[in-house]
Amino acid sequence: MRITVKLIGGLAHRLGFGEQEREVPAGTTAGGLLTALGIPDARTVITTRNGWGIAPDEVIEEGDRILVSPPFSGG
Amino acid sequence: MHGWTGQILRVDLTTRTWRREPFTEEFALTWIGGRGFAAKILYDELRPGIDPLGPESKLVVAVGPISGISAPNTGKTVVAAKSPITGGYGDGNLGTRVTEKLRKAGFDALIVEGRAERPTLLYIDDERVEFLPADEIWGRGTYETNDWIYARYGKGAGVLNIGQAGENLVRYAVVRSMEGRAGGRPGMGAVMGSKLLKAIVVKGSQPIPQAFPAEMKTLGRDDLRAVHALDQKSAWSKQGTTGVLGWCNEVAALPVNNFRESHHPEAWRVDGERLAAATVAVYGCPNCTMQCGLAMLDDQGRESELDYENMGLLGPNLGLFDIAQVATLNYMCDDYGIDTISGGGVLGFYADAVERGAAAGDLRFGDFAGFKRVLTAIAHREGEAGDILADGTLRAARAFGHGSEAYAMQCKGLEVSAYNCKFIPGMALAFGVSPIGAHHKESWIISYEIQQTPRESYGRDKAQKVIDLQRIRGGLFEAIVSCRFPWIEVGWGLENYPKYFNAITGLDWELEDFWPTSDRIYALIKLFWLREFPNTDRKADYPPHAWFDPANADTEGPIAGRILEYDKYDALLQHYYDIRGYDRRGIPTRETLERLGLGAEAKAAEEHATLT
Repeated sequence: MRITVKLIGGLAHRLGFGEQEREVPAGTTAGGLLTALGIPDARTVITTRNGWGIAPDEVIEEGDRILVSPPFSGG
Repeated sequence: MHGWTGQILRVDLTTRTWRREPFTEEFALTWIGGRGFAAKILYDELRPGIDPLGPESKLVVAVGPISGISAPNTGKTVVAAKSPITGGYGDGNLGTRVTEKLRKAGFDALIVEGRAERPTLLYIDDERVEFLPADEIWGRGTYETNDWIYARYGKGAGVLNIGQAGENLVRYAVVRSMEGRAGGRPGMGAVMGSKLLKAIVVKGSQPIPQAFPAEMKTLGRDDLRAVHALDQKSAWSKQGTTGVLGWCNEVAALPVNNFRESHHPEAWRVDGERLAAATVAVYGCPNCTMQCGLAMLDDQGRESELDYENMGLLGPNLGLFDIAQVATLNYMCDDYGIDTISGGGVLGFYADAVERGAAAGDLRFGDFAGFKRVLTAIAHREGEAGDILADGTLRAARAFGHGSEAYAMQCKGLEVSAYNCKFIPGMALAFGVSPIGAHHKESWIISYEIQQTPRESYGRDKAQKVIDLQRIRGGLFEAIVSCRFPWIEVGWGLENYPKYFNAITGLDWELEDFWPTSDRIYALIKLFWLREFPNTDRKADYPPHAWFDPANADTEGPIAGRILEYDKYDALLQHYYDIRGYDRRGIPTRETLERLGLGAEAKAAEEHATLT
């Protein structure tokens, strides 16, 4: 299934892209996606799906827009 | 007493006199420094009801025990006064060489009293204080003023100055320093202007008093490197705070068109990625290891330092999505010495009021030329609109009438910073209970609300989280006076700050030892507000009405149809009061004040208002 991944702040520079569409297997969890992105520990980032928080064990669905950002605190 | 110089410099601009005043170890340990010193001095010395722009008003410049030492991001100074925009306590911090120089001149704080007869530059060094004419730079912008001062005193001098906005008593004029630094958004620049004080220049050459200087030197050197390495690893400073813009847009927290909408399809044009690509230079505060002042070129090719707040409020909040245009408005604000947050808030409100028919004029969202014109009018209080808008959003709304106060985006009279909380209850609370009026620096809990607890919740955990963050951000960092960014942005541990504090002071404090001081500072500031507004009630801690208005709910996107609810917000506010030990008006109870060692301050408050 296809999803969109958007990275925020320094993550975009570290992982080499700001936003991209990706193909992921059905049943992929948010935590699984983070691991695939090279982020093994979900606690080190803030992850949202379509603007709402998503837990590492939640399953991603077709067309989801996943946002991953560093744990910033708003300046 | 190690760690403090033990001296305050008191300057009277009316009599052109000055004196050194020692303070006790008890004062130092009770209030630590920075905001703690400023709040205590202003509470003790200002008669309630004075005109914040009159000669009785006082400006306090204060540093803390770790300010200016060689350690991560210690270049900050607090500027404070009774606020001309809120009428309550006001302060802010800014990066400046004054931090180090004031301590090296032998002072932990400066109190400026009275009013000069003519434009004045206050010069301070180890041995003397001089009151010098500043007629030549009166009427000039902050960039030109800074250059004029550098040419005479050298680039190493500590400088605080104001632009035309401060001179013309724009109620949200800031104090400026160095290339892009600014602080004191509740009108500290106007307080300087009211005293005809154009600039403060500080030089100093004495060592900063330290209990264990050798240990501190090693610790500071190692930690400067360590924080820099964390920043390099995380790539945080590639975008600095501007990375937040794209995130806010995705989670529907961005201010768009005077906070009417919380996201916009064109926001990507001014997000962190685009800004990083457009950056031509990077600036920072003294002792900074992770510089966040990203400079872009404005429409005239001038360098303009942008961060998230000014990008959000001078960009999407005005319907502008062009980096050079936002950079231009930001440059103008910096040069005039206008707070970019309040400046963007006021401009957005005005465009909204015109569009809704409450105010005359032809300004519209997206009208870059129009915003430039109005900003210039504000800085010089030109024309009726410029004069009204120079007084801030709340006063402007009352002047315009026609129900415009409902969409005046402010708390306690201070404009909201760049987080649209129409459906973020905890952050709305953080704005509501901020001790200077709406500002994000005290407590920022949006990521907690999005990730770790239901966004729609008004639970007690959010009130507790707001307090936890206030203790750290508004208490610890504002009192020791150090930048919070190493902690919040690249994960530098809080446990490092007691290490610096102990090496400097010779004390043996744990992190928890700072919390009573934080709570004491917040309680004292509440008493300051109470004396000014004896009939205050909990409504003073409410965020703007627009965040509760169903007609203002988003029509599409993540939070379509969702909006804050008054009764639930009020219950969340009560949780905050209960945890803090405040009464139903939001005032610390006598018991709380006694527990915090504020018995004498409580008695002083009771001369003007009632405590429970």
